[in-house]
Amino acid sequence: MRGRISSTVLWIYFIFMVIFLFLPLAVLIVFAFNSGTSPTLPLQGFTTRWFEQAFSNGELVQSLARSALIAVAASLIATFFGIMAALGLSSKAVRGRSLAIGALLLPLVVPYISLAVGLLILLQALKIHHTLLSIAFGHAVIALPFSLLVILPRLRSLDRALVEAARDLGASAASAFRLITLPLLVPALISSSIICFTTSFDEFAIASFLYPSGQPTYPVFLYTGSRSPQTLPQLIAIGTLVIAVSLLIVGLAEFGRRWGERRLEGRVASALAEKARAELPRLDDIVTPV
Amino acid sequence: MKTLRKRTTTGGQALWTWPPVAFVFVLVVVPLIFVALYSVGLRSNIPGTKTGFDLANWKDFLFGPTNPFRALFWHSMTITVVVSIAVTLAAYPLAYFLSFVARKNRYTLLLLVLAPFFTSFLLRVIAWQAILNENGVVNSFLMWTGLRAADDPVTWLIYSNFAVVLVLFYSWIPFVALPIFVVLENMDRRLLEASEDLGSSRLATFLRVTLPLSLPGVIAGFVFVLIPTTGEFITPLLVGGTDSQLFGNQIQSFFSVSPDWNYGSVLAMTLIIVVLILMLIFGRFLSADLRDTSTRSAR
Amino acid sequence: MTAINDLNRRQFLGGALGVAAGATALAACGSPDAPAPVPSGSASASAAPTASRIPISAESGKLSILEWAGYEAAGTKAQTAGLTEAGSAYTKEFGPDGLAYTYIENDEQALQKATSSADFDIMHPCGENVKDYVDRGLTQPWDLDLIPSAKYLAPGLMEQTTYNGAVYMLPWDWGYGSLTYRTDKIAAADATGWELAWNEKYAGHISLWSGAQTNFEIAAMKLGLPKPDDLTDAEIEMCKAELIKQKPLNKFYWDSEYGQMQPGIQSGTLWVAYSWQDTLVTMKAAKVPVAFMDPSQGRIAWFCGFMLGANTANYYHAHAYVESFLNKAACAQMTNAYAYGTANTQVTAADVTDKALAESLQISDLGALTSGKNHLQSYTANLDKITKAWQEVKAS
Repeated sequence: MRGRISSTVLWIYFIFMVIFLFLPLAVLIVFAFNSGTSPTLPLQGFTTRWFEQAFSNGELVQSLARSALIAVAASLIATFFGIMAALGLSSKAVRGRSLAIGALLLPLVVPYISLAVGLLILLQALKIHHTLLSIAFGHAVIALPFSLLVILPRLRSLDRALVEAARDLGASAASAFRLITLPLLVPALISSSIICFTTSFDEFAIASFLYPSGQPTYPVFLYTGSRSPQTLPQLIAIGTLVIAVSLLIVGLAEFGRRWGERRLEGRVASALAEKARAELPRLDDIVTPV
Repeated sequence: MKTLRKRTTTGGQALWTWPPVAFVFVLVVVPLIFVALYSVGLRSNIPGTKTGFDLANWKDFLFGPTNPFRALFWHSMTITVVVSIAVTLAAYPLAYFLSFVARKNRYTLLLLVLAPFFTSFLLRVIAWQAILNENGVVNSFLMWTGLRAADDPVTWLIYSNFAVVLVLFYSWIPFVALPIFVVLENMDRRLLEASEDLGSSRLATFLRVTLPLSLPGVIAGFVFVLIPTTGEFITPLLVGGTDSQLFGNQIQSFFSVSPDWNYGSVLAMTLIIVVLILMLIFGRFLSADLRDTSTRSAR
Repeated sequence: MTAINDLNRRQFLGGALGVAAGATALAACGSPDAPAPVPSGSASASAAPTASRIPISAESGKLSILEWAGYEAAGTKAQTAGLTEAGSAYTKEFGPDGLAYTYIENDEQALQKATSSADFDIMHPCGENVKDYVDRGLTQPWDLDLIPSAKYLAPGLMEQTTYNGAVYMLPWDWGYGSLTYRTDKIAAADATGWELAWNEKYAGHISLWSGAQTNFEIAAMKLGLPKPDDLTDAEIEMCKAELIKQKPLNKFYWDSEYGQMQPGIQSGTLWVAYSWQDTLVTMKAAKVPVAFMDPSQGRIAWFCGFMLGANTANYYHAHAYVESFLNKAACAQMTNAYAYGTANTQVTAADVTDKALAESLQISDLGALTSGKNHLQSYTANLDKITKAWQEVKAS
């Protein structure tokens, strides 16, 4: 009986929390279609004009494109180095492994604001002009640990016998990697790319210091635009689309991951928890071998 | 022949570790070295300024009798700790619910909790801004329903410490719920059964068995919040007022409006040192308990 | 199996410390003195010979401009308000697509941006910072032969932007800074001087600007200090204490005129705010009852203008762009849109549409800028001390 009561209380608590967590998203979605010019109650009426305005706002659309471009570049760079580091670390013969691991996971704990000002100083010292590429590199380095934390466990879980069999059959190390390891890593590589992409796409601190003049990224534009009541409704409208796409990607990634897991290993649904851990890994992953 | 070949290839494979390390070195360590150089006056951002080793800024920050930056630092750390504790307390029942009450659908419900956090952080803060504004959702609702006079909005909702703490609290809940959930999931349920079989009440079982065993997750979650919040500056920028800016805002402002990068570097270095100290303190707790978890998952 | 089994804390910390050790070694050998910049224009007494430059047709035409919001060239944005004339000659000829604006929130931030990225073709700082830009090598002199309207610019202002015979800033706009207040919320008896911003009756409804030098000048004027731009260390401390006292009364320090300050006054969130006179025009249009105070200690006066980036690859485009702002029609429209004065002496009282407003603000009389108790913002050798002190105010 007591158990029943406490689980009812927990259910109520859970529902309350979910409402709390979704409240801001709901507010964005509702006011994206509200014809009033500011997010106030009561609601004024249904409109899609904020979407029309948003799409005809060249600066907004360009900032989205810019962020997407940076995120793709950052994701490619981070995943490239992520595979490299995972391959290296999965070898038994690494000297200075702890130094390497410490360095590779360092970006997880360095506060972004300190890193951002450091990069600003570095670019100035080297007299490098601020370009979108410099932001992409900054984002790649903060995404690299995420990439590594997704790829390395996957690489370890692969059956080494497959690679060794290929080698015994005469394949070179390179072709064994290309023919055996890489295809098996595909689900992890997709996960890594998505995580790196979203990390970069949402990053504000580094971008706000490094963006080339007149070329803000989407979060930077969002920040400046949010202060202006005239552009706020448009930002909310575009924001709901960004949210919808993000949730869709999360859903698809989850689906794909499960499918991949099942196909390759027949693993159980707890893969979700691992994936969620991998997508939100910060300190825990450095210290928690689950 | 075979062993020989294997040794050379794995040795070659190990070398792949180092280009990524070099990448991190160039883009993280080198910038931080520059920050360190600035903090002791060995470089300057202002062309034509004389540079030389000088600890004056450090001395001022650490020992200046009424240094406002040091005071702000402690204020920020207090806010950070308050937020971290509050989030951990709020997240625990959530994780407990998912793991023990919502047995069957727990992964779906977990995804529900996590989903908002795959969306843009900045957007969510902006949404809070719209909710808390003086002419925002909450106030306009109160005025609409007549609970509040039209020209008398609740003013402490935004540009206040309340707003900063609320939004930070909101942002971190899932980050804390997740590690607690994982630890609860990995817990050996037979221990709980044993405890109850031995006549313990559910409460006693929770306090004596579940809670202690879940502490690694709790600490991990707590540190999850603690570390990034030390450098937080976006939330106060958007929903904080003149008296609710945090240490991170000072760093941002030293590098974006003041010419004094040297002093700003002192603050930025302070943050890095704090994080390293936090790692030293909490890492120990974590690793001690986690050996346990790892043996269990190997089981 | 599920996470990185052997990534434990000890290894991480060991690694991190190792990295730090390596870092120290690197720091030891690689600690260079700040390399002196090569100020491309500041050393030479006059503009570089035009013959050595690439022709306009070979320039990219992509101009990166450090500008105040609201001053975008006509045609750049789908503006309903703002500049419709200024810049139009340029955008008609070259199109608006090559123009990228970075917005100034306050003077110190503009200087910082110009210093840290240094890739602007055109910048729009204010008179008090001209020397800072020149000293830092961020700018080069204009070639007045390429700016037909330059000969009409007020000599009194040009004088202040010329160094070693070269003109570094082409003055464009000038005006006043004071407190704008809601006449329906503020008792007239309280709105007599800068001390209004310190009036606890209005706590939570006040907003000063985020400009460091400006705020120290305000405090200095309130305290009656004789030289608000030449404060001694002791005076800086006094102003700092005064601003710390004022700080809790603010809702926020505003960064964005159109995004934060004006909407705040309009919605009734803010009753008192530091502003420029253009806020009067906006509020008049929105039928919000406000006044632009004439403080007993005097108003702050300012002028701003265009500076040419030291490293611009668009020398001729930049000149064409600025000429399209300096011509008479552009200046007259700016004056009418924002109620600022203009440096172009061809614009007379007859060109101004709102005569009453023009009269009250004396926008046809450049002499008023420094007349009476008005304080014209000018170069301060103490800028670094003041910005540092301002940081301390914000941290307090």
